Amino acid sequence: MSGSVIQEKVAKLLSRQNGKPVLRPIKPLALKNEVASRKLKKGEATCVTEMSLLMACWKQNDFNNTVCSKEVSVFYTCVEKAQNKAKGKQGTQGRLLPKEANTLLKRFPSLSSEI
Amino acid sequence: MAASVRHLLKPWTPSLCFARWSRYNPYYLDPDPSKDAPDSELSPEQKELQELKTVRPIKAALSSDTSSTFNDPLISKFINMMMQDGNKILARGIMTQTLETIKRKQVEIYHRSPAAKRLEIECNPYTIFQKALENCKPIIGLASVQKGGKSYQVPVPLTDNRRRFLAMKWLITECRDNKHRRTHMYEKLSQELLAAFANEGNVVKRKHDLHKMAEANRAYAHYRWW
Repeated sequence: MSGSVIQEKVAKLLSRQNGKPVLRPIKPLALKNEVASRKLKKGEATCVTEMSLLMACWKQNDFNNTVCSKEVSVFYTCVEKAQNKAKGKQGTQGRLLPKEANTLLKRFPSLSSEI
Repeated sequence: MAASVRHLLKPWTPSLCFARWSRYNPYYLDPDPSKDAPDSELSPEQKELQELKTVRPIKAALSSDTSSTFNDPLISKFINMMMQDGNKILARGIMTQTLETIKRKQVEIYHRSPAAKRLEIECNPYTIFQKALENCKPIIGLASVQKGGKSYQVPVPLTDNRRRFLAMKWLITECRDNKHRRTHMYEKLSQELLAAFANEGNVVKRKHDLHKMAEANRAYAHYRWW
């Protein structure tokens, strides 16, 4: 119902009847059936402190892993936590990911011409 | 809004059942070939997984997965990595010969040693294989990161699968390339595995070299963004 109202307004903006048209569009004034992909936010290196502790232990004990087993296990737990965080953080915060939105729009596109 | 719309993104499952592909939709679950009930009490998330198995579609099992007690996923993975041109029979034969050789060597050492030292000698070839592989797995790897036109080797944590793959790959390439030409593969493998079990040998040395390189490049650790 509101679609026709918008079409009339757009027609008025494009018309040459009242002097020059307000809009001179290059691309068609319609929504595309896809969303632009978002820039990946650059994170920072995870678990650097644990890694440096592990390397200090290695340097002292000549890269012996049995002696440094505590640092090793701490490093592994940190890595696992970082991986889980990275996995879980992607799809939250209330918005659809661009990939998901594109899949949906491909399945339910907005019609460009009358059938 | 996203939460209500996301249910429309349920993955497509085909109405026909095909033979095993190499790429399944992530919706499919892995097959579990074990016949027996699990030993210990399941944690709540494992119970959830069991519930899911009754509902979700499951991938077709590989022909190498059996429900017998001798089916070891680690050994199967190693056999697959050793296999060339699809000759699984040969690769499996080499593996069984390797395990037999390890057992023979260890039993000989066992019978030759005095009674006091006998308890320390490990005769089970499967535990020797697992321990040797653990000793060969690197903890930190190096990744090439480009920054400011120059590429640096950055120390990076590795996933479990990557570490297991590297350990197995190093073992196999070491045995294929750096040993005497006229020894059998099972002989070379058994020597290398027993050395790795005792934290010696070329594969463990290669792991230590990787660790040393990572330690030398520790200043570049902040070039990572993941």
